[in-house]
Amino acid sequence: MKITSALSYFLFAAATSSSVALTFTPTSSKLSPSSTAFSTTFRRQYAPSKTTMLRMSDDSTGEYDFDVIIIGCGVGGHGAALHSRAQSLKTAVFAGGDVGGTCVNRGCVPSKALLAASGRVRDMKDAAHLSDLGIAVEGDVTYDREGIAAHAKNLANRVKGNLENSLIALGVDVVEGRGVLTGNANEVKDEATGKVYTAKDIILAPGSIPFVPPGITVDEKTVFTSDGALELPYVPEWVAIIGSGYIGLEFSDVYTALGSEVTFIEALPMLMPTFDREIAKMAERMLIRDRPIDYRTNVFASEVTPGIPGEKPVTIKMIDANTKEHVETLEVDAAMVATGRVPNTANMGLESMGIETQRGFVAVNEKMQVLTKHEDGEVVPGVWCIGDANGKMMLAHAASAQGISAIENIAGREHAVDHDAIPAACFTHPEIAMVGPTEEQCIERAEKEGWTLGKSQGNFRANSKALAEGEGNGIAKVLFNKDTGKVVAVHIIGIHAADLIQECSNAVAAGTTVQELSMMVHTHPTLCEVLDEAFKGAVGMSSH
Amino acid sequence: MPALSSTMKEGKVVSWLKAEGDPISAGEAIMVVESDKADMDVEAFEDGFLAAIITGEGDSGAVGAPVALIAAEEGDIPALQAYAATLSGAPAPAAAAPAAPAAVAPKAAAPKAAAAAPAGAAAGGRVVASPLAKKKAAELGLDLSTVVGTGPGGRITASDVENASSGAAPKKAAAPAAPAKPVHIPAPGVIAATPTARALAKKAKIDLSTIQGTGEFGRVTADDIKMATGEKKPERKKAAAGGAAPVELPDGFVAFTTMQRAVSNNMEKTLTTPIFRVSREIEMDAFNALYQSVKPKGVTVSALLAKAVALAIEKFPIINSSYENGGTNFKADINIAMAVAIDGGLITPTLKYANERNIMELGENWKELVGKAKAGTLSPDEYTSGTFTISNLGMFGVSQFDAILPSGQGGILAIGGTQEYIVPDKQAVLGMKKVSKMTVTLTCDHRQIYGADGALFLKELSNVMTSPQVLMK
Repeated sequence: MKITSALSYFLFAAATSSSVALTFTPTSSKLSPSSTAFSTTFRRQYAPSKTTMLRMSDDSTGEYDFDVIIIGCGVGGHGAALHSRAQSLKTAVFAGGDVGGTCVNRGCVPSKALLAASGRVRDMKDAAHLSDLGIAVEGDVTYDREGIAAHAKNLANRVKGNLENSLIALGVDVVEGRGVLTGNANEVKDEATGKVYTAKDIILAPGSIPFVPPGITVDEKTVFTSDGALELPYVPEWVAIIGSGYIGLEFSDVYTALGSEVTFIEALPMLMPTFDREIAKMAERMLIRDRPIDYRTNVFASEVTPGIPGEKPVTIKMIDANTKEHVETLEVDAAMVATGRVPNTANMGLESMGIETQRGFVAVNEKMQVLTKHEDGEVVPGVWCIGDANGKMMLAHAASAQGISAIENIAGREHAVDHDAIPAACFTHPEIAMVGPTEEQCIERAEKEGWTLGKSQGNFRANSKALAEGEGNGIAKVLFNKDTGKVVAVHIIGIHAADLIQECSNAVAAGTTVQELSMMVHTHPTLCEVLDEAFKGAVGMSSH
Repeated sequence: MPALSSTMKEGKVVSWLKAEGDPISAGEAIMVVESDKADMDVEAFEDGFLAAIITGEGDSGAVGAPVALIAAEEGDIPALQAYAATLSGAPAPAAAAPAAPAAVAPKAAAPKAAAAAPAGAAAGGRVVASPLAKKKAAELGLDLSTVVGTGPGGRITASDVENASSGAAPKKAAAPAAPAKPVHIPAPGVIAATPTARALAKKAKIDLSTIQGTGEFGRVTADDIKMATGEKKPERKKAAAGGAAPVELPDGFVAFTTMQRAVSNNMEKTLTTPIFRVSREIEMDAFNALYQSVKPKGVTVSALLAKAVALAIEKFPIINSSYENGGTNFKADINIAMAVAIDGGLITPTLKYANERNIMELGENWKELVGKAKAGTLSPDEYTSGTFTISNLGMFGVSQFDAILPSGQGGILAIGGTQEYIVPDKQAVLGMKKVSKMTVTLTCDHRQIYGADGALFLKELSNVMTSPQVLMK
């Protein structure tokens, strides 16, 4: 499933130098389980350093320098590298000066830090909620913008360090320079030094960069993408967010918690266009309506001119999406561009290998092998592409899963990622999480494939733990195949949704039926009972 | 109120997404209802106009009961609103603000040249102002379109103009400008107001162009709107001179205790009594001397005063009577009630038959009564049986005051403090002497007691107190 609009990031807790156990549940029965925990055999004993010397000698697999070269050291590349070492494959990762990639440095990690800090400010300022619990805060709740920004930066640096150390400790060769294809099979050139290396298999994991539509001038000060926003250089009085997907939504949560007002500018007729409609409606009520946020839909920001803080505001001209006529001009303090991400695949030698991209996206088959083009392409032997660059599912953990899958295939065990079983989350307050298609898509699918769609719902309003927290708003919606009982999709909006979705995506991955789930005992009193209510409801049982 | 689930019996309206008068179309969400399960959007079934809201935000309605009235035609809205008002028995929810009292008008007279910042837009609507307001505005050089009106229908009154010009609204701490800074003028067509300011202004039916903005680049913020509607008051300087801690003043409504309510009710009851007041100065030297001699035996001034008044009443029993429809109700018992301040209020312990008992007994009794009063253990007979009341504020330095006559009594005597005077005296050395004098004021019910009665009573009291040995009998 290709998701090209703005999407969320995931925190990838990088392992430290201790062993990492990776287990992977294959979706096809003919595949054997992948290999498991590392033992110390694979740990190289030498002082970890940031740039490692490449070992060309003893462990080489004969004709090639490496078994696997991975271009890109983000979450995808990292995941692939860890799994590659688990197969005892000689592995090198070309970091391109960006160890950790987007997730660690400019995405999931710092944004979760900002959301955590701003979330607490929001909670402590919510006098009504606190007084329901019998609490009153005396005086003003204040925050230090620099402190919050520092928390995000420090966290990113820490995770980045851990990630790099984990690779080195496992014996991965981390190359500083950017890797590019030379045009010859099995070759990767270090752009910084010019040196050429060979590998049996090459995995492309260059990631993505923020997409800036034409007409928008980004100065990363008053008009910025998520890259600039995460620095949190100041808290604007009024910020316009162009794009209302996960990223825009999360940032609106941060900004409004810290005191800003937000205007969403959305090109499509509805906010949060990729969300399930019922969830989007609830999200609009819980995350937008009661907050200092308003929005314009069906408009393009045709011209965005940066401002000068204190002197000149940012000017945004908006045109109707259909008629292209000017509808409104806004003068705001800052504008954030959250209109999606595009692959970072330019200038890496793809054309030299005969690989054609579509809007930058690299075509791959279900095994993550690169194809020469999207329509009727042929497999380019020995070249794989994972993560945002192939556009199949632009999420950190999807990239990681694809990396592992690619290594499985390289190791000779056929594997394909079941993207329908990969969950996604939006870390607003309250959170939104989902696995599988939207209800609208489920209805289409059921009709096309000839099965009956079942729907069941659990309510946070009925959950003791949620009510104890004073957070009784939200639902969990389970969509299942009535004929087989298998869970097709689950959508949750409510406190801790991002954590609750896991049992649902496990169910989708393993093909667990609602009948089985209805008999699985859920701890009391926890939020998971919201799901228990839905599972039991699906089979006609009532829950507490 | 729709049934959102099979178990729902009543629902609470969380919020209205449309306001009265707004057009609505079929399928559009117009309100959010909280059911027993979750909050749900409720859609309109037909096109039309939301004429009147019956169940407001936060209120509940039974499933099936009407929560709002929808008009097919815009012209039907007033009739439906009138109908809705009869249903709820309360006036239809009025538009907030311009009628809000004590609106602090935005600081329109600011020296900033670009005060008319949302430039062209101000020219819009008609400005309604009273003739005096227009005259005052002209005198003061004030632009009426920048003044918020608090008169009927949002009319600008003279006091609105005065408030606006007196610069009542102090500078907000966050105000952007040192005058030296160039002021930003929004481009044509740009509404310089934050999202919440726009929403609040729409709700309060305030024209944004009439509000001076204090946000970045001069835009109108939510706080600006709130100041204009009076919801928010400007920050007050708390610092006192010399860095003294700010005074904590009681603020806001505090409900009466039972005692306070009783006093208040009793006072209100006295409003219909026609009263008159008579004052007299009484020389206190002899009385004070007597008091000094009996003080060691535990007799208080109050007891002495009570006995003196009681003896005077014996000669003029009309003072001890009360008015009753068509006649005078004489009371043979002379029960002197004396007002005592206690924690949280005031009460009137009573010395019964004060004329008959000797001063020692009265002194003992009074001590006992005061103790009980402070402990809150007085019996009703001990504080409701008074026929005449004495109220003494002399210990606070009061020179003279008038007391309110309690219902059911004929008179109350208000006693001031004793002061020393030099008075002429032919027989004294240097032709003058020092005397102590105390001013007493009698308040009487003129329905049965006349001026002469009061005056004669006071004269008798003065006689008793200047020859006080009679108190010892």
